[in-house]
Amino acid sequence: MNPRPRGTAAEPAFARLLETFRPDLLRFSLWLSRDRAVAEDVVQETLIRAWKSKNELKDPAAVRPWLLTIARREHARLYERKRLPTVDVESVEALGDPALSSDGDAGLLDLRRAILKLPDEYREPLVLQVLGGFTTAEIGAELGLTQAAVLTRLFRARNRLRGIYGLEPAQESE
Amino acid sequence: MSAANLNCHEVRLAIGAEPQSRSGDVTAHLGTCAACSRFRDETLMLDRNLRAALELPLSEFRRPAARPARRYALAASLMFGLLIAGTMWVVLPQPALAGDVVEHALHEPGSWDGSEVVPKAAVAAVLKAAGVEFDSSLPITYAAPCPFHGRRMAHLVVQTANGPLTVMLLPRETVSRRREFTEDGMRGVLLPAGAGAVAVLARTGEVPAPLADEIVSAVRW
Repeated sequence: MNPRPRGTAAEPAFARLLETFRPDLLRFSLWLSRDRAVAEDVVQETLIRAWKSKNELKDPAAVRPWLLTIARREHARLYERKRLPTVDVESVEALGDPALSSDGDAGLLDLRRAILKLPDEYREPLVLQVLGGFTTAEIGAELGLTQAAVLTRLFRARNRLRGIYGLEPAQESE
Repeated sequence: MSAANLNCHEVRLAIGAEPQSRSGDVTAHLGTCAACSRFRDETLMLDRNLRAALELPLSEFRRPAARPARRYALAASLMFGLLIAGTMWVVLPQPALAGDVVEHALHEPGSWDGSEVVPKAAVAAVLKAAGVEFDSSLPITYAAPCPFHGRRMAHLVVQTANGPLTVMLLPRETVSRRREFTEDGMRGVLLPAGAGAVAVLARTGEVPAPLADEIVSAVRW
């Protein structure tokens, strides 16, 4: 039997499916951009692009990583297109975002702030791995890095966060 | 430094990069090096917190942003369509719920593979995040507070005599009656459970009804 073509009766279901991923996309984009307004723009662009490219989604079970990949590229494109300035760590917009502390967990608030203060090159692979569920090989392919470089960045990201729990950082090089 | 093929620095680099990874060399080293075993335990603890931290509470996302979001003309028409579709999703929740539960499970295929019991404190943190109690004696080998329909649910894998079962404790989901389903090769059951619902999924075979009932009876919101 031929699969039912998208663009007909499947469209409402696809739109519904996209909408269920909005919170995931917004969260993911906020960690990348560290600015809620930018994150919302990224999500809008991502949903539009996903809608236009819906025929490219070959495996419906892979819709989440597909959308997150689009979101990451939209985020990169937005910075490239608008030449958004690199901001000082202490003036990161999201540090004051009420979502950071809304669950009342002081430990998580400290950790969230520490994540936001990580340099982009450490924060991005970490978010892709932990929140996005991407493998190190997939992260390397997406960021244009060798797998060894991805492993090093992931290690360094976690190493910097150990201090939140009073843990000694591991030695970074022999 | 131990007798294994990797030295402590290499092992810690591997653990810090992929805490869940279990390469043979790393495992061999951990068997002989208490300091690296402690480092791994610390890193796994960090990662559980990291995951919880990255999953920002979703209710806050529904508030207007501090600055008005920039809108795009093209987005308006699409978002209207998505809004209508979203409304339909709320009105007709149960068929969508089964599909969403399976979809979620398929996104975390590694959840089935664990064999080590998750520490009680880690399970308690997951349950707390989802606002639920789960008083069951079944061994839990996977526990994560996952985003689901705008809230956090407890995503667990329990080991049973019938093999591993995925258990999702879904706060404030409405299920009017027991409903069995088959989606994408998975068989499962949705059950009402007080102020929420429970989904139990089996990767192979059916979910035994007495086991599903036992699971639901262990849930308190």
